[in-house]
Amino acid sequence: MVGREVSESCVDSMIIEMVSSYCDRFCSAKPELAARRIEAIGYQVGLQLSERYTMERPRFSDHLEAIKFICKDFWSELFKKQIDNLKTNHRGTFVLQDNRFRWLTRMSIDPSETNANTSDDPSVATTESKSAQSASMHLYFPCGIIRGALTNLGIPCAVSADMSNLPACSFVVRIKA
Amino acid sequence: MIVCIAVVGHQNNPLYLQSFTEADDALKLHHIVHCSLDVIDERVNNPKKTGPTLNETFLGLLYPTENYKVYGYLTNTKVKFILVTTDLDVRDADVRNFFRRFHSAYVDAVSNPFHVPGKKITSRTFAERVSTIVKSFGLSTAV
Repeated sequence: MVGREVSESCVDSMIIEMVSSYCDRFCSAKPELAARRIEAIGYQVGLQLSERYTMERPRFSDHLEAIKFICKDFWSELFKKQIDNLKTNHRGTFVLQDNRFRWLTRMSIDPSETNANTSDDPSVATTESKSAQSASMHLYFPCGIIRGALTNLGIPCAVSADMSNLPACSFVVRIKA
Repeated sequence: MIVCIAVVGHQNNPLYLQSFTEADDALKLHHIVHCSLDVIDERVNNPKKTGPTLNETFLGLLYPTENYKVYGYLTNTKVKFILVTTDLDVRDADVRNFFRRFHSAYVDAVSNPFHVPGKKITSRTFAERVSTIVKSFGLSTAV
């Protein structure tokens, strides 16, 4: 089968536009609602992608195998790289760490804010958290994709994202018992 | 000849059910499909019997009746495909090939953004593609 390619800049622009549309236009008053909507779009994308990418492979026997599939094959199909680090507590929580998450590589937090952060100005803290918040809005979409893919594979779960230092980011998957 | 093909969701909800006979026996065929769901459950939950084919998507011959043979296929996403045929000497390779093509048709159908996951597949393109695959199944057996 011939691999089909998608222009990366188009995908980047589309995600940025989607996030800004939901945050600033459709649900500007309620950021939680915007987050939920974006996550729901990702969920459907995840459902459909997992259907396609699990074709022609044996069924998974346990949760770890399915998570490994997400880390390796699924991530390679989406981002042409695998997840860099997978941690688990063996009680249904998995942490998937990507050291260079593609959708965050073009993103930067205004350096003047981080410089100003050294001074103890209370107003600076709010701007810093604001830019971090708007960056984190871009992670609801990939979270939804992971949740959709795992749910479709028969693993209901909740996915959250954590970005401490760009462009690295980690996704926390909690499997619902 | 393939007389019936079915797609059944992960909660055993019918997603697509199509019979290909002239006679008015759709109900009987649907009954056969319904019965085969239990066989699939048994196969999947007691994998010892299947041995080396453990966790393979293709489940093989589910059960033969006097007039029909019923084959099954279970995807990673717990969607079942069921095939009812009147051919009594079917090669496994042909059935595998059929399911492979059918699976890609199914994937394309559910990737349609207007398809609601878990609801019946109403796409006309899918129906046309399925009937092409079903027709070619008879041909490949003859060759």
